[in-house]
Amino acid sequence: MFTGDYVHFQNPQTGQALAEVNPNSVRNFSIFFGMSQSSFLKAAATVVFSAAILISATACGGTAAGYEPDTFRINLQAEPPSLDWQTSTDSTSFDVVSNLMTGLTQYNNDMKCEPGCAEKWEILDGGKHFVFHLRKNARWNDGKAVTAHDFEYAWKRLLDPATAASYAFFLYDIENAYEYNSGKIKDADLVGVKALDDWTFSVKLKRPAAYFLYLTAFCPTCPLRKDIIDKFGDRWTEPQNIVTNGPFMITLWKHEYKIELSANPHFFEGPPRLKKIKMFMIPEQATAFGLFENNQLDYIDNRSFPTADVERFRSSPLYRSLPLLRCSYIGFNVKKKPFDDKRVRKAFSMALDRTLFPKILRRGESPANTWIPPALAGYSEDSKSEFNPEAARKLLAEAGYPEGKGFPLTKVLYPQREDAKLVVESVQEQIKKNLNVKLQLEVNEWKVYLDILHRDPPQMFRQTWGADYPDPETFMNVFTSRNGNNYTRWSNAEFDDLIDKASAEQDQKKRAAMYARGDKMLCQQEVPIIPIYWATQNTMVKPWVKEIGFNAMDLQFFRKVYIEKPN
Amino acid sequence: MLALILKRLLTAIPVLLVVATLTFFLMRMVPGGPFDADKNLPPAIVANLNAKYQLDKPLAQQYVIYLSRLAKGDLGISYKYVNRTVIDILSEAMPVSLQLGFTALLLAVIIGVPLGTLAAVKRGTWLDVTAMFLSTAGISVPGFVIGAFLIFIFGIWLKVLPVALWESPWHMILPAFTLAFSPAAYLARLTRASVLEILEKDWVRTARSKGLSHWSTVIKHTLRNALVPVVTVLGPLTAILITGSFVVEYLYAIPGMGRFFVTAVTNRDYDLIMGTTLIFAALLIVTNAIVDVAYQILDPRMKVEG
Repeated sequence: MFTGDYVHFQNPQTGQALAEVNPNSVRNFSIFFGMSQSSFLKAAATVVFSAAILISATACGGTAAGYEPDTFRINLQAEPPSLDWQTSTDSTSFDVVSNLMTGLTQYNNDMKCEPGCAEKWEILDGGKHFVFHLRKNARWNDGKAVTAHDFEYAWKRLLDPATAASYAFFLYDIENAYEYNSGKIKDADLVGVKALDDWTFSVKLKRPAAYFLYLTAFCPTCPLRKDIIDKFGDRWTEPQNIVTNGPFMITLWKHEYKIELSANPHFFEGPPRLKKIKMFMIPEQATAFGLFENNQLDYIDNRSFPTADVERFRSSPLYRSLPLLRCSYIGFNVKKKPFDDKRVRKAFSMALDRTLFPKILRRGESPANTWIPPALAGYSEDSKSEFNPEAARKLLAEAGYPEGKGFPLTKVLYPQREDAKLVVESVQEQIKKNLNVKLQLEVNEWKVYLDILHRDPPQMFRQTWGADYPDPETFMNVFTSRNGNNYTRWSNAEFDDLIDKASAEQDQKKRAAMYARGDKMLCQQEVPIIPIYWATQNTMVKPWVKEIGFNAMDLQFFRKVYIEKPN
Repeated sequence: MLALILKRLLTAIPVLLVVATLTFFLMRMVPGGPFDADKNLPPAIVANLNAKYQLDKPLAQQYVIYLSRLAKGDLGISYKYVNRTVIDILSEAMPVSLQLGFTALLLAVIIGVPLGTLAAVKRGTWLDVTAMFLSTAGISVPGFVIGAFLIFIFGIWLKVLPVALWESPWHMILPAFTLAFSPAAYLARLTRASVLEILEKDWVRTARSKGLSHWSTVIKHTLRNALVPVVTVLGPLTAILITGSFVVEYLYAIPGMGRFFVTAVTNRDYDLIMGTTLIFAALLIVTNAIVDVAYQILDPRMKVEG
């Protein structure tokens, strides 16, 4: 293109001259950019040369190919709002913390509590008193021993009103915990937690709680180092300050981009085989999936798996799926007409074919006919609600709306999400088809939707619930009259009493039977809700990743994972 | 010129105060709060959270507290990202957005201005039609479509550029082009219209009749004058590009500040909403002041009345 002092612009196909720039023009350009003519030409040559290097370098492949030895690369999708495990409430933060910290107990992938920092425990006083005996080889990553005092400090801090921890209420079963957290008492020493010595931690409950042990594996109840928090204040979670006691320790936190963990040499089970975990925060599913395809991520789950690709890769040997303890449901505000009549609620429930929802959503969901998921105690075929449009129409007629005539205008509230939209549209269509009732859909931005639910729930709404611990209590408690998440306003003394008794019952068989009875009330008899489907975790794992486990709580533990060099 | 800059900076204070006041009260009128979550919290917990973040005080008092902190240069704390201040968040994200934004701006100017000039000079030819087709496409095709297209072609299919992430200068190429596409198209159209107008002026005819070459006339007598409207849009364009783009950052997983313009609002992260809005307003004021100075350099007759 450069010939002597002339620059020719040509049509590359025809060779026809498009423009010809003579030395005067070069001078004009150089004047325009305020440079001498020679400087301008030098600058232009530099730009062209740099571009040539850039193109040749990128053509050689700027992307990494294959696996990274001893390194596991995943996508968190978003920035964890907090790595202070006492103020975290979201699954992203817990995915990081679960690999940094170990509580008194820890989950295995069957969601059973295994010994963690506590090597054994006693349950005394009919389930009201727990005594945990700590192992002496549990260490923080700076080498100091994990003691019962670290737990006492942590649990009191979790309940301290000044901490303003959202999940403090998980400890409300403990003596004086609620009173201290709500400011009714000021003395933290009155709370029923105490380090009896360095290795013995005592917890006294107000009443027996059969699910309590699960809470000791829950991230917010992990121990804390008082000296670290006193020294660094609000900055204690930064990588250079934080100390942890789990299989990994944090070495890098580039906010909104990446977290890197490395093996903790002091972990009581011995350092994990993985040397490094890279946790990226790639918000767009398709981008993350592209990185997985390009071998730049080793593992993806729902956060990185577009629906179209789930369908495309379902038969791939890299694909695995697992039902989760998360249920979507349609709720009724039972204080609003016409849903104050349980015949109407039952008619709606019987008019919905749950098998249609997984076909619409296409992510491997399972239809839900009960509120307690099949994986938990208390699940019973006997509690199932049935799809029976004929009986539904009959019930609706009995309630005074034969063939849907005279049925009041009914609004269905849902948040601005694609899956929620597909669900309520299907509900609308099925109710119209089976009951001849017209529903009006109302979408709102997430926080506005929540605000409406909290203040004045409409006649119908679409909501979800995910388990906090693998026990039916976490599902059944939602619809007791005192629970703030019971947006149905349904209040039933018999149900409340049943769930209270079940939560304290130590005999697991009796307990399961009580929950099954409660589930039947919810799904067949009183019907304040219609369970719709259980969510599924869709994953793909590269063949060089070994020993990765999956669990129904969708908790990500990588302490046993290792990378095997591909052949 | 110094007086002009000083005057602009002084008038910025009341402007920023109005922006802060409007934003403060508007965002509080929107339903939903920072602690509304999927799982509703017991009232005692909500009371603790409100007390910690001083949201239990009357709105007017919260406004006064915010302004007094702002006067000391404190932009507040994030309600979503525990223990991080707004300054922490923005000071980490802004350099990334600046880097990407300036690269995109440079690309937009390098591509847009010559393309527009060429289209005007070769008016009616296939060059003009092609340039205008490209610029219409650039304006009308959304960034996420262009981005997805570039990722597919260069990242997944040809595998010559990284699909996403922010690890090396190579990782900047696709996002910078994606971000530059629309402004380059806009600048091309603007430059073309402006150059066409100037080409009709008497002094251009005079220059030609004096025997100056075609390109010499374009470069020396036309382009410099034609750039005035281009420079006018460069002010706000710079502010927009260097504060990041939600779409480009989302698509390429870039840790810039563009995302906060959207997520701060969806999270009702009040102080972060205020912080991003004020930073953007301040940048607009500064870039517009620079544009005013640039006018005087481009055309000394345009003495801006401060």
